[in-house]
Amino acid sequence: MATAPSLPSTQPRWARSPFYFNSASHLLRIGKEKATNLQELLEAIRSCPDASIFQHTFQTLEEHHFIKEGFSNDFSHWAFAACNEVELAERLASLDIREFTSLAALRERLVHLIEAHLQKNPRAATKQAMEPFYLMAADLVVVPTPYVARNLEEFTDGLRKVSIHAIYYHFIDARLRLKLNNNDFSVWLEQELDLAQAADRMNRIDIYTSTLETVRRSILKVIEAEMNRA
Amino acid sequence: MKRKDLDQNLQIKEAGDNQQVENQPGASEPSSAPPPGQKERRFRQTDLPAHFIERRKHPRISTEPPPPAAPPRLEDYASIIGRPELDEIRFLARHLRSKTVKMVNSTAVGGGVAEILNRLIPLMNELEIPTKWEVITGGNDFYEVTKGFHNALHGGEYNLTKTIQEIFMSYNEQNRQRMEFVEDLFVIHDPQPAGLVRSKSDTRGRWIWRCHIDLSNPHPGVWDFLKPMVEQYDAAIFSAPAFTRQLSIPQYLFYPSIDPLSEKNKELEESYINKVCDDFGIDRSRPVITQISRFDRLKDPVGVIEAYKLVKKYVDCQLVLAGGGATDDPEGAVVLQEVMDAAGDDPDVIILNLPPWSALEINALQRASTIIVQKSLKEGFGLTVTEGLWKEKPVVAGAVGGIPTQVIHKLTGVLVHSVEGCAYQIRYLLTHPEFAVQLGKNGKEHAKENFLITVNLKRWLLLFQIMLGMARPSKTI
Repeated sequence: MATAPSLPSTQPRWARSPFYFNSASHLLRIGKEKATNLQELLEAIRSCPDASIFQHTFQTLEEHHFIKEGFSNDFSHWAFAACNEVELAERLASLDIREFTSLAALRERLVHLIEAHLQKNPRAATKQAMEPFYLMAADLVVVPTPYVARNLEEFTDGLRKVSIHAIYYHFIDARLRLKLNNNDFSVWLEQELDLAQAADRMNRIDIYTSTLETVRRSILKVIEAEMNRA
Repeated sequence: MKRKDLDQNLQIKEAGDNQQVENQPGASEPSSAPPPGQKERRFRQTDLPAHFIERRKHPRISTEPPPPAAPPRLEDYASIIGRPELDEIRFLARHLRSKTVKMVNSTAVGGGVAEILNRLIPLMNELEIPTKWEVITGGNDFYEVTKGFHNALHGGEYNLTKTIQEIFMSYNEQNRQRMEFVEDLFVIHDPQPAGLVRSKSDTRGRWIWRCHIDLSNPHPGVWDFLKPMVEQYDAAIFSAPAFTRQLSIPQYLFYPSIDPLSEKNKELEESYINKVCDDFGIDRSRPVITQISRFDRLKDPVGVIEAYKLVKKYVDCQLVLAGGGATDDPEGAVVLQEVMDAAGDDPDVIILNLPPWSALEINALQRASTIIVQKSLKEGFGLTVTEGLWKEKPVVAGAVGGIPTQVIHKLTGVLVHSVEGCAYQIRYLLTHPEFAVQLGKNGKEHAKENFLITVNLKRWLLLFQIMLGMARPSKTI
């Protein structure tokens, strides 16, 4: 858990509405699709449920939250480790899920990247992978936590105490839920406390080169800077 | 190892040799001779100190099982998984309070399922979800049939006759008549009691089939016989995506788990680890490469020795091959002899045939290791890999069974497909310790996130909520 310097004891600014910290637990469902080469992966990505696209891009970031480099999504990792298709792996890894507000758009982009690679490298399509790729999906269940914030002090307190799954839920999963290039924390800061600049700084924290613990610390830094400024 | 054999092998210890570490059960005794039929190893001349050589020839192996440890309470896990995670488990459980669960399997002792239930059920009851564990009964003919089914579901040949089907169904029916099905949730483990689902229509509860075995390549006749029963359940649970079959019911993924507070995995005092190394003649000043597994060809112990020999040309190191099964299992004894032959006169190959009560010693061996290897040719889930990850060790493992789920290549360990690949990766890790440390750290986090009993408990709570319609999956997707 991150620690922070002691905060100045000034009169807190009260939010118009409180922030309720939630967390999310997920249960993996095994899908029907399986790929043993890139052509099969392409077909599986075209036909699988949205939940599987979500699982292997958004959700996997939570499952591998402790890795700070070299991991972006399951498709990229499989293209690299099981298919030895480094170029495709790089392109898939460069997908930034923060840019997508619908799974349909994300699926379309994945299909486009794989199709383009197979057009350029037709032999890669049916080359047997070292291990199959099993498409899965997650059932997410939202779990309320006891933490509620009505001002920045309470917000930092909650942020320090919630599990890493709560950080994921509000900071990453929220983008798809909100259908915006944004996260729950930034939305609250901007809408309930009129802290647009801090909200923007928070939204620009890089989730791909940080662990979720580092993301937590970066969020706290943004808030502490705002509190010190006030 | 059988007690009789152990007794035969005991030797009166020299004065001063019998220093037992406080709080660690089981006396350690040096064995004077190898088990019957096994030749004593002869080592080539080496500058290794004499006491290492002596212990490698005559390791001090515990002769008695330690007294059973008290099962941990949920609160004991707080320091491991963190307070917020524990709070989430309690929150999920709160909604299930007073919901009742019955778990049924085919054995109360021995085997992985009984081990899991022994740990899981007290935690569920502590969370005020009354959970009963019942065991089906049957005659020898039933257990012969279920053993045959077990092998057939793993791909073995089998002649499924009408009589066999009748034996299976009649014992399931007897058990069904004997048991009461009044709970809210029924979890039936593995194929043996699968037929209990015939009671489903008489109950208001939800029925879940937990399959612990690999169904990727089942005997078609046996699977065709079982499948209609399985599809009567409300959901099925498998241990790895590769182990599943196409089914008409939802299939969930529950990874097998380890208990971080068990003898096999709990934190150990450094003094105890040193003592175990001393008992087995392991030199902690040099790298230690370890594979823990039964003496079984599918674990490829001879391949591990070949890889070690390739490594040894460049890096001074020791190899520890520790496991059991070579005393009670005739094939295990043959494999052990093959391993001894492959090791030859190299004193740095340390071969330990351990009794089943060696959890603490295995824990210490894993913690004393520089690298953990699991070069299996075929594997179930591979919980020895999980144990290595949990102990923050870099793991080099064969890309088979459930291992790729645990070892994400170059992120939480390294996957290998050959002796040469195994040797290269070991060499690389020994010469790039900073990379090895990073793999170990990632591996531990991966195990913490996915393969601990607390994660498993959370999965059960989630599944129960979903099955009972108490939780709806998020609308995000």
